[in-house]
Amino acid sequence: MNPMVSPPIDLATEKRHLGELAPMVIKVALAIGVLGIAGTAWLAYGAHDGGERFYRSYLVAFVYFLSLSLGALFFVVLQHLTHSGWSVVLRRMAEAVAANLPVLAVLALPVLFGLHHLYHWSDPEVVAGDHLLQGKAGYLNVRFFLIRMAIYFAVWAGLSRYYFRTSLRQDETGDPGLTLKMERLSGPAIVLYAVTQTFASFDLLMSLDAHWFSTIYGVYFFAGSILGFFAMLPIIFYLLQRSGRLTHSVTTEHFHDMGKLAFAFTVFWAYIAFSQFMLIWYSNMPEETGWYLRRQQGQWAWVSLTLLFGHFVLPFLALISRYPKRRRGMIVVPTMWILLMHWLDIYWLVMPEASEGRVPFSLLDLTCFLALGGVFVAAAAHRMRRRALVCEKDPRVAESLRFENA
Amino acid sequence: MSTALIDNTYKDPAVRPTLVLGGQDFTSITEKVCGIVEAPKPPRIWYICLAVAAGLTGVLFAMVGYLIVTGVGVWGLNIPVGWAFDITNFVFWVGIGHAGTLISAILFLFRQKWRTSINRSAEAMTIFAVVCAGLFPAIHVGRVWLLYWVFPVPNQMSLWPNFRSPLLWDVFAVSTYMTVSLMFWFMGMIPDIATLRDRATTRVRRIVYGLLSLGWRGSNRQWHRYERAYLMLAALATPLVLSVHSVVSFDFAVSQVPGWHTTIFPPYFVAGAIFSGMAMVVTLLVPARQLFGLKEFITLHHLNNMNKLVLATGSMVGFAYGIEFFISWYSGNPFERFAFMNRALGPYWWAYWIMVICNVFVPQVFWSKKARTNLWIMTIVCILVNVGMWFERFVIIVTSLSRDYLPSSWGYFKPTWVDILTMAGSFGLFLTLFLLFLRYLPMIAMAEIKSVMPQAGLEHGAHAGHGQYWGEIPHQHEHQFDELNGVKR
Repeated sequence: MNPMVSPPIDLATEKRHLGELAPMVIKVALAIGVLGIAGTAWLAYGAHDGGERFYRSYLVAFVYFLSLSLGALFFVVLQHLTHSGWSVVLRRMAEAVAANLPVLAVLALPVLFGLHHLYHWSDPEVVAGDHLLQGKAGYLNVRFFLIRMAIYFAVWAGLSRYYFRTSLRQDETGDPGLTLKMERLSGPAIVLYAVTQTFASFDLLMSLDAHWFSTIYGVYFFAGSILGFFAMLPIIFYLLQRSGRLTHSVTTEHFHDMGKLAFAFTVFWAYIAFSQFMLIWYSNMPEETGWYLRRQQGQWAWVSLTLLFGHFVLPFLALISRYPKRRRGMIVVPTMWILLMHWLDIYWLVMPEASEGRVPFSLLDLTCFLALGGVFVAAAAHRMRRRALVCEKDPRVAESLRFENA
Repeated sequence: MSTALIDNTYKDPAVRPTLVLGGQDFTSITEKVCGIVEAPKPPRIWYICLAVAAGLTGVLFAMVGYLIVTGVGVWGLNIPVGWAFDITNFVFWVGIGHAGTLISAILFLFRQKWRTSINRSAEAMTIFAVVCAGLFPAIHVGRVWLLYWVFPVPNQMSLWPNFRSPLLWDVFAVSTYMTVSLMFWFMGMIPDIATLRDRATTRVRRIVYGLLSLGWRGSNRQWHRYERAYLMLAALATPLVLSVHSVVSFDFAVSQVPGWHTTIFPPYFVAGAIFSGMAMVVTLLVPARQLFGLKEFITLHHLNNMNKLVLATGSMVGFAYGIEFFISWYSGNPFERFAFMNRALGPYWWAYWIMVICNVFVPQVFWSKKARTNLWIMTIVCILVNVGMWFERFVIIVTSLSRDYLPSSWGYFKPTWVDILTMAGSFGLFLTLFLLFLRYLPMIAMAEIKSVMPQAGLEHGAHAGHGQYWGEIPHQHEHQFDELNGVKR
């Protein structure tokens, strides 16, 4: 045998199920989740503000995990749209994360209960005294908002379930026709995704300040979501490999590519963030600048600067070289940092609307994060407890196992 | 080789399409591509096209000369519409260039091996489009002889350009773009030019191609450095795909003109640029592949992929139109609302609807594979896309300027014959340059395309994974890898 030829990777000898790890992960995640829920309940009950603070913290945590699942759904659909081969061994985990979207539909309920606390356009008295909001009432009203939410989550749940289930079916049958089916749906799917994702970001986040508007907002939220997902993906595989799973099939090349994508979307996020900021700053029109002024005054100025350096400059420098991207232990450090910054980004989108000049960090932010994070991880682990962690009979799996970054 | 080509657009997920058809091997590729350059005479139709294009270029120079001698008053623009055909043409041509950079840089980073058949000509198109683009702001300034003032050159008047103006950022963005694109294009061509030099039968060719090939010997070390440099340039050109048209969009978006100032402009301009550029690549390559018999290289699979990109970027543009319209209503700003209603229903309604129909509705036929692989349909669609994208810039620029805040200073722009002939002339210049490129430079990247053929053996042995996957992807569970790797169990 040619010594330069690496031996073929054989999926059959690979540990590719969660197995005994699943119950443990589920237990720990649920324990954290329950702890988070209990803490949240205790703190929210003790706050005596009618839940005001709770709903905001909850919205941040909810949108954060929603964005990760939406990023995963985009990744899955995009791989089918481009007939991608390299990513086949990564796709199952993305499918599993995206399949949390039906769970998130349930977790959206507290946001809906807190509608009046979060969105001032939902208060008829406020609208009656606000000429601008009257003009928008055809779109920004409670009933239409609920209808839209139902549509978004129906689309997301439908797509994520379809892709997860069809892919699982292929594990059993090995039918390449299923790949064709998934590819055929990917075109319409990406259109639906673009529309729902954009308007969901308008509804959930932009309408927190219903006077303000920005046409790029949907792209901004999209960029953050995708970056969050690409930051999460290498961490998932790092942890799986640490536990002895997929040790051969997810290669250095895959980590390198995940790192490249995290790098690319770090820059893309910065590009979109800069475009929005620069154009509003330069034009200096009062109906637009208020949103940024709130984020530049008082303590928020420090958060904005943290985002500039922490969400862009640091990850940019950390990920630009080839060296860390090809080392599993190294790549996860900047990506964990990006995940943290992505949370801060969402926080920065939500919180200044209710707290001018002061960054209202509170334990509730942490407990809501733990509550939703625990449920999020437990749901994904539960879903994967008996499933293969790779799309093992995808017709292109061999290509994925063998590709190299030349 | 004139036998019917197999349909390599056939979709079997377990089979990667063959990228070069017709049983070509390395020798036949060199013969074919160099043959176009070395043939004693190009096809007759090439002469006809060149005559028309060169004639139009003459018209362009005549118009520019007339403009310089007489003044910008020969154009139809005047207050309030101070930018019209000139800036429309500028944005249009810069946009056209973007597809070339996308194909050569971004698709390279994405390991899209099919790009090897089309990247050379697409990059050439980029250069020529930027040449046409650069012309318009230059002649628009009025006193062309003072154009060097746009550069921050130290001078006796201590006169500096306004660094806060996006028009100055344009100067930097477009000149950077031109420089990097030119380097990328030329560097990529060196091995192929060396091939032409080595095959040269005349003294002139030996000298010219010899000079251009910069002493290329094809040694291992040269190839190694070449490939590293190529990767670096691709990485440098990738942000340019986004930045150049973003800066162009700043020209409008930093202002307070309703219809110009909107935050989605940067990514939306980039999508539109790639959209129009990709349509232009298809428009140019369909006739070129027929004319020079390159159907085996630029196959239906390639055209299918490009048309998918046209559909994707066109849908992004259409979506952005929708978002702009929605937010103009949602903003509650009466000026914004007016600007968009005025586009659709005002005096320039015809331009708006040409834009919407050509850019949003027409490309939707590409959802059908039949349309994506039919040469006539794709040519017509892509020409319409180019018409639509020209009108998009016209709509943005002219309708917004013609009616802004003060109804008393509204106006209506009408192009003069000089406007129209200058625009037509720029197409002449673009086509002249492109036709000369087709005849005198290797229009297909020979060295690159050979690496994506089975004969390159890049899917075997030590090179496993470096090359294009072609043909059937081995099935994992059957231990077929052993066979591929030559392992005996």
